Amino acid sequence: MTTPPQTTVGAIRDGSWQRYLTFSLSTWVTIGLLIVVTALNVALQPTFFTTYSLTSNFATFAPLVFAAVAQAVVVIGGGLDLSIGSIVALASVVALTVMDGEPSRVAIGVLAAIVTGVIAGAINGFIVGVIRLQPLIATFATNSVFAGAALVVLPKPGGMVPSTMTTGYRSLVIGIPVSVLIVVLAIVLYWLLSRTRLMRHIRAVGGDRSAAFASLVPVVRVQMASYIVAGAFAGLAALAILANTGSGDPFVGSSMALDSIAAVVLGGIALAGGRGSGIGAVAGAIILAMVSTVLSFMGVPTTWRQLASGVIIVAAIALSVVMSRKDQR
Amino acid sequence: MASLDITGVDKRYGGVQALKGASLSVAEGEVHGLLGPNGSGKSTLNKVMAGAVRPDAATIRLDGQDLRIHGPQDAHHHRIESVYQQLSLIPHLTVAENLVLGTEAARAGWLTPKAQLVEVDAMLERLSPVLGGGIGPRTRVGSLNPGTKQLLEFAKVVLRRPRFLVLDEATASLHRDQVALLFAMVRELTAEGVGVVFVSHRMEEVLDLCDRATIIRNGLNVATVDVKDTDEQELVRLMVGDLARAAGRGERPAPSRDGQPVLSVRGLQAEGLADVSLDVHPGEIVGLGGLQGQGQSELLTGIFGASPAQAERIEVAGDPVEFRNPRSAIAAGLALVPGDRASEGLYSVRSIQENISTVTLGRRARAGLVIDARAEKEAATSQVDALRIKIGALADAVSTLSGGNAQKVVVAKWLLSEPRIVLLDDPTKGVDVGAKAEIYAIIRDLTAQGVGVILNSSDDVELAELADRVLVLYEGRIVQELEGTDVTHDNLVAAALRISDDDTKES
Repeated sequence: MTTPPQTTVGAIRDGSWQRYLTFSLSTWVTIGLLIVVTALNVALQPTFFTTYSLTSNFATFAPLVFAAVAQAVVVIGGGLDLSIGSIVALASVVALTVMDGEPSRVAIGVLAAIVTGVIAGAINGFIVGVIRLQPLIATFATNSVFAGAALVVLPKPGGMVPSTMTTGYRSLVIGIPVSVLIVVLAIVLYWLLSRTRLMRHIRAVGGDRSAAFASLVPVVRVQMASYIVAGAFAGLAALAILANTGSGDPFVGSSMALDSIAAVVLGGIALAGGRGSGIGAVAGAIILAMVSTVLSFMGVPTTWRQLASGVIIVAAIALSVVMSRKDQR
Repeated sequence: MASLDITGVDKRYGGVQALKGASLSVAEGEVHGLLGPNGSGKSTLNKVMAGAVRPDAATIRLDGQDLRIHGPQDAHHHRIESVYQQLSLIPHLTVAENLVLGTEAARAGWLTPKAQLVEVDAMLERLSPVLGGGIGPRTRVGSLNPGTKQLLEFAKVVLRRPRFLVLDEATASLHRDQVALLFAMVRELTAEGVGVVFVSHRMEEVLDLCDRATIIRNGLNVATVDVKDTDEQELVRLMVGDLARAAGRGERPAPSRDGQPVLSVRGLQAEGLADVSLDVHPGEIVGLGGLQGQGQSELLTGIFGASPAQAERIEVAGDPVEFRNPRSAIAAGLALVPGDRASEGLYSVRSIQENISTVTLGRRARAGLVIDARAEKEAATSQVDALRIKIGALADAVSTLSGGNAQKVVVAKWLLSEPRIVLLDDPTKGVDVGAKAEIYAIIRDLTAQGVGVILNSSDDVELAELADRVLVLYEGRIVQELEGTDVTHDNLVAAALRISDDDTKES
């Protein structure tokens, strides 16, 4: 063959800057929605970009951001995790109990939250991957189990989070709010994960399970691992919640499973699996959280707020699903 | 010399024995053809080697050592790699991600793609003359055409540096230039000592590429021959066998084809079909022959309005019709007995009675709303009796029936609608001999009542026994028509295989 060695078949060469702008349609929808809600927020709340406002806004977003990344990993792998909220609740009460308000035990508390999440994820992964129950049914059931376990650990809201955690969470590092950095951490963690063989295999299994099996992907192990990784992210979400609220609550995650699924869809991740990125889910979580702040600043009465936010979310999800259908063609 | 030997392979799928003691021996550096008619067990044998199917019994030896292959990973461990008939590319991943899938280079779990990308680039460069423009390592696979995907599938397996390579219909979607490049690459591999198993429905490809060939029939080895010393006729004879076959259509007189056809189709186009025209006369059984997957099922579902298709003209008993959906086809007097009864024909957890009565529910409903339970039961009972379906009770779930009886339920539900034209898509696949004979009797009764039948069958013996006329399909076209006494098993196999390649291989 006498052709030049450089491969130039693709329209855009690897490594060129244009590559970073070749998004799919559904990614553009996510970016567009993010810009719209941010603009609305800024318009209604001129102090939005002050450090105080950023700190408190991101402090509220962060738990859902981590839960959304957790859900994203599972959904990309072709699964679904309805127990994310209960894992967050369980991990938070376990960490709270382990730390017992002692600033010196924060490190061990962080470890406890992550390990709790990993164990819960392993249980989900075993039931879905090895016993091969439908993810919907399996995690619906384990949702009750983990929620029940959380109640056993901490029967009613209370307890005290070490003050170093709560004050640290609302402080600044070189002028940047820590809560913002924590959301950035979620993005960095996902970015690192996306460069692992495991995440490549998760995408393959979610895309076509039997083709992945034929292509030497250890399908069962990969499926289990996706729930375990999700459990670890749920553990991080639990820590963010503790730092934000300052006390423990066994019921804390009740709306998180469905919120995380909504965030994942808003982030352009196909519920059918195989497609999308955890970074989209981060954007989805922020969109979701900002919709409710926008509504409160617009003066929508509290009685109407949930209804209004539901309608907006349905519309946004419909838009991103319709667009991702166009991507497929 | 090193070789891969697989012997004594048994595999049963439900009631069907796909392989009974089949064997294959591939030497280093040879291309070994694997030949056999429809359903002879070629693909099953390949999948056993690839680890995709667990045999009931098999001995696999590599270089004289016993091997255990329990999954694709075991086969890969011994550098036995396969291109499956069904493609294994992931649509949302890129070309490069797919090519290294399962064998990604990584350090402590983190991908280290640099070195592999060089190999991928070299492979794409090699394929680029026939790959189609605009395809690079970052192209997503989902939107590519079937030929390109098949080439990538081949590339993926070659990148794994196999010692033994199984190519199961790896050329089926390729056009001529692509086949030529694939052959050149296979010859380079064999020159380096790779042993290749090659399956193709195109005989001239087998003759061109293979050194030896093993012929299997009904799950059993017939012969292994040197391809150089064998001609096409001999290979066909080995595949068909010299046994005298069941004596054709018996005494039944050929139906008259002078009058108006009950169904007339002109210029039907669909995915996998090109410009098909046919006529069916009252009382006639028109068979669809050829190798499996040449468009027969698509033709039936296309006529029936169950899959997208455009026809210049379809007439039922002289009246022009247009079927956009099965409902309009049923209204015009058509019935389709689907081939995949599990997914298309039956509600397996529902009762036998409900299954039989679904299609014709509207006729027995009072005021179009309430189902008349007694009428429904009578209708179901009369069909069960007429078709001699062996059941416990009408209320039992269909899943309790054997394959043969379940298939009779599918037939029963369609015959209740008293069709004028019945389309049968491989109606006896996986059905035992006794039930087969009964289904044949049902089909003959239908024609005696003047119903026109189109019968697709993967079983050439079945076509020889039932059909008045057989249209042989190849790559979506009718390439030959056999009629009357010419409808024999031998002629059918020969017609399916010995098609001149010149005018059919265009992409």
